Amino acid sequence: MPAITVRVNGLEVTKEVGARTLLSTFIREQLKLTGTHVGCDTSQCGACVVTLDGKTVKSCAVFAWEADGADIGTIEGLADGDNMHPMQEAFREHHGLQCGFCTPGMVMTAVSLVENNPDIDEDGIRHGLEGNICRCTGYQNIIDAVKTGAKAMRG
Amino acid sequence: MATYVARNGIGENQRRVEDFRFLTGHGHYIDDMKLENQAYGMVLRSPEAHADIKSIDATEALALDGVLLVVTGEDWKAAGYGTIPTKSGVRKFKDGSDLKEPPHHAIAIDRVRYVGQPVALVVAESLDACRDAMELIEVDYESLPAVSHQSEAIKDGAPQIWDDIPNNICLDFELGDEDAQKKAFEDADHVITLELINNRVTATPIEPRGALADYDAESGKFTLWNASQNIHANRDTIADTVLKIGKENLHHIAPDVGGGFGGKNGVYPEPILILHAAREIKRPVKWVNDRSESFLSDTHGRDQVSTVQLALDNDGTFRGLRTETVGNLGAFCGTVGPFTPTGGSSRTQGGPFRFDGIYYTAIAPFTNTCPLDPYRGAGRPEGSYQMDRIIDYAAAKLGMDPIELRRKNLIPPSDLPMKSPMGLDIDCGNFPEVFEKTIEISDRAGFEKRKEASEAKGLKRGFGVCMYLECTGGGPKEEAKVTFRDDGKVELSVGTASTGMGHETVFAQLLSGHLGIAMEDVVFRQSDTDATDIGGGHGGSRGLEVGGSAVTQTSRQIIEVGKKIAAHRFDVDAGEIEFEEGRFHVPGTNHTMTIRDAIDSQNDPDSLPDDLEPGCMNISSVFERGIISIPNGGHACEVEVDPETGTVKVDGYWVVDDFGTIVNKMLADGQVMGGIAQGLGQALMENIHYDESGQLVTGSLMDYALPRADDMPRMVIDYYEDAPTEKNLLGVKGAGEAGCVGAPPAIVNAVCDALKEYGVHHIDMPLTPEKVWQAIRDAKAAG
Repeated sequence: MPAITVRVNGLEVTKEVGARTLLSTFIREQLKLTGTHVGCDTSQCGACVVTLDGKTVKSCAVFAWEADGADIGTIEGLADGDNMHPMQEAFREHHGLQCGFCTPGMVMTAVSLVENNPDIDEDGIRHGLEGNICRCTGYQNIIDAVKTGAKAMRG
Repeated sequence: MATYVARNGIGENQRRVEDFRFLTGHGHYIDDMKLENQAYGMVLRSPEAHADIKSIDATEALALDGVLLVVTGEDWKAAGYGTIPTKSGVRKFKDGSDLKEPPHHAIAIDRVRYVGQPVALVVAESLDACRDAMELIEVDYESLPAVSHQSEAIKDGAPQIWDDIPNNICLDFELGDEDAQKKAFEDADHVITLELINNRVTATPIEPRGALADYDAESGKFTLWNASQNIHANRDTIADTVLKIGKENLHHIAPDVGGGFGGKNGVYPEPILILHAAREIKRPVKWVNDRSESFLSDTHGRDQVSTVQLALDNDGTFRGLRTETVGNLGAFCGTVGPFTPTGGSSRTQGGPFRFDGIYYTAIAPFTNTCPLDPYRGAGRPEGSYQMDRIIDYAAAKLGMDPIELRRKNLIPPSDLPMKSPMGLDIDCGNFPEVFEKTIEISDRAGFEKRKEASEAKGLKRGFGVCMYLECTGGGPKEEAKVTFRDDGKVELSVGTASTGMGHETVFAQLLSGHLGIAMEDVVFRQSDTDATDIGGGHGGSRGLEVGGSAVTQTSRQIIEVGKKIAAHRFDVDAGEIEFEEGRFHVPGTNHTMTIRDAIDSQNDPDSLPDDLEPGCMNISSVFERGIISIPNGGHACEVEVDPETGTVKVDGYWVVDDFGTIVNKMLADGQVMGGIAQGLGQALMENIHYDESGQLVTGSLMDYALPRADDMPRMVIDYYEDAPTEKNLLGVKGAGEAGCVGAPPAIVNAVCDALKEYGVHHIDMPLTPEKVWQAIRDAKAAG
């Protein structure tokens, strides 16, 4: 089994991975970072979104070995201890989550959307979240959260 | 900073306490669990809709490295396990004979009856080993004719799914006064008939179903962690009825559950299979569905074909209503499956409108499809769709205004309380005011201007309304247990099941508000057979109505005990003690005792009067609801339809709900908006489709369309709060299902309004671009 070395939330790790091990499985099973969720098997739901070298990917659609040498960011790396990231705070403030299952992927995507476009508007947010399915909220509170989160991130 | 909640917890938009763990990746869902020495289970599912199993050969699979066990129907026969029973509330045919309940084993025995039915369970050291082993199991099927549509299944000569069930009919049903309905039809000026389909959909919680089973050989006790919404009742069924191990030997727990919407209510085969496997190999076994399996094996919802008839006079007065439904049940009776198209769909017939006579009749047949069971609303969405579609259809046919028709026929507050023709106890509400408020906030007055603007873009704009009436349901009893712990925390255990609704917050809010203790000190437990003796779980929008009432009742009992302790300390009569904002005091004196003081004294016999025992403030109480509540409300929506492409854009959405008392508006809004999204999904895009041979065509999220962020309009949610019900302690009328009760008819009505100039007055859901485009073309061709 080949080994890969990745930086995950700032920490370097080296692990052996199987040829068909998905990045999502690697993160959940081998790194025990279970905040990254798997909700489908066709890269549709977006619950598994993480960042790979700064870009969001659906980690169920990437093999672990493809991430060798990469910098990975997961939901666990977003908060600073008990201090949530402004986007996480905004989701709480606006009730942008119910069951919480899609939430990590939703928040990771939202942070990336705003980093790439700090002045993103409602249409941009709705379009940008197309790859993340939420079955609980009807999205409105998520949109409002992302707006508030964007404002806070702009400072 | 400690958070205290005022007004007995009511009316505070408390932010959720569970959010921190969900937002930081520390939620604890079933697939996040791993026990020492845990093995993995995977289910081999039938690729055949209807076939005899001639043989299963697992020799090669078992020889594979890492494979521990293969379970088949032969093992089930040998073990003598029981079948999974239906708990349908309707159990008799119209003629009084019993509902036909075929044996539903957790694994196929000798014959398969739907694609996706469990045929074997593979248990191995890893999921990869499971996958490899599944490839090596040889099953020899002999195909049989299959039938997937309910209207075909009841025909003479249709394939027989069960040898002893003629025409595949599980149950028939009637409710209402057929003579009164017939007389109303004879007397009325018009009878308008509409045939409509309530499309088959599936709950699709984003967390797939899964479970983890453990067996302790020494004690003979099992533990099952299960992504289930109904822990207590399902424990009883699994332990007592199916595995026959005794319910005292099964500890059933749900960790965080990632959405349910009814789809995780029933007793499913897989958790039972892994309990068996855990005992066989004496190791924990975990199984989690992948999404494709979810489409095949999560129970589906709706799937009713109905003929609705509305009798009305020239002046628009409603006279009679008749609905005839054929509701698909799938291959087996779901846990409450047969109830949905029968009792479940009948009770709200007629909505909030006056009628001289209503009659409802249903047939519920089996088909070679996945079993159906409740999906959010379970019958009430079907009822409101029938009612609010036939109104708009009649209005279009007779050249009447659908808004005026509703106005004219709404039950006035002066008629309340009343017993509806279908037997519902409608105690309170103000339907005309709710309806007018809906029209008002939707800016109906500005519609024509917006229509002109759409027209200028080549788009057709339509306005649709629905005035729904529903009823709550689910288990009528709930327990709330409070334990004051030595570490200062207050443990609150309730037998309900939150799968995202925020019980952890709202129940703590109620307890905090009543007792004047800090929200932060409340530790919430739910969905655990060790935490409460009874538990009704989830279903029928019951959480706040029954669970919240139980928390309120227990809080009140704690305060009464606290008063006795305070009275003992101050040497006064308990009747002289008042309690306010966490303090007991004797009016007109300096005698004050905080609730914390009382709690701290409860274990000291010297601080207690003679009639109290140490621990007396640790109280559990069971609240029992007498009669279900009647949520009601108005939905309005505007759509823009592109006649060239058939694309529908929902451009605005307004709701006024009467949920009685609103305890936490933020959470109520969340329930309504999520429900609207599911209703919009059903109306415009979601559809579970089986082909004629019983193959599932929509087996993934690539084929089954769920609403995404840019499919949803901005929603305006308002409430009518002047009619709290006296049926429970909080005055609430359950909020969980209303959104998807009102949305489908409102949206379809709006699309039909947009297309009325073409003569399009009905399209069956989902209103996909192709169907809308085709309907316009067909109407144009028909001239």
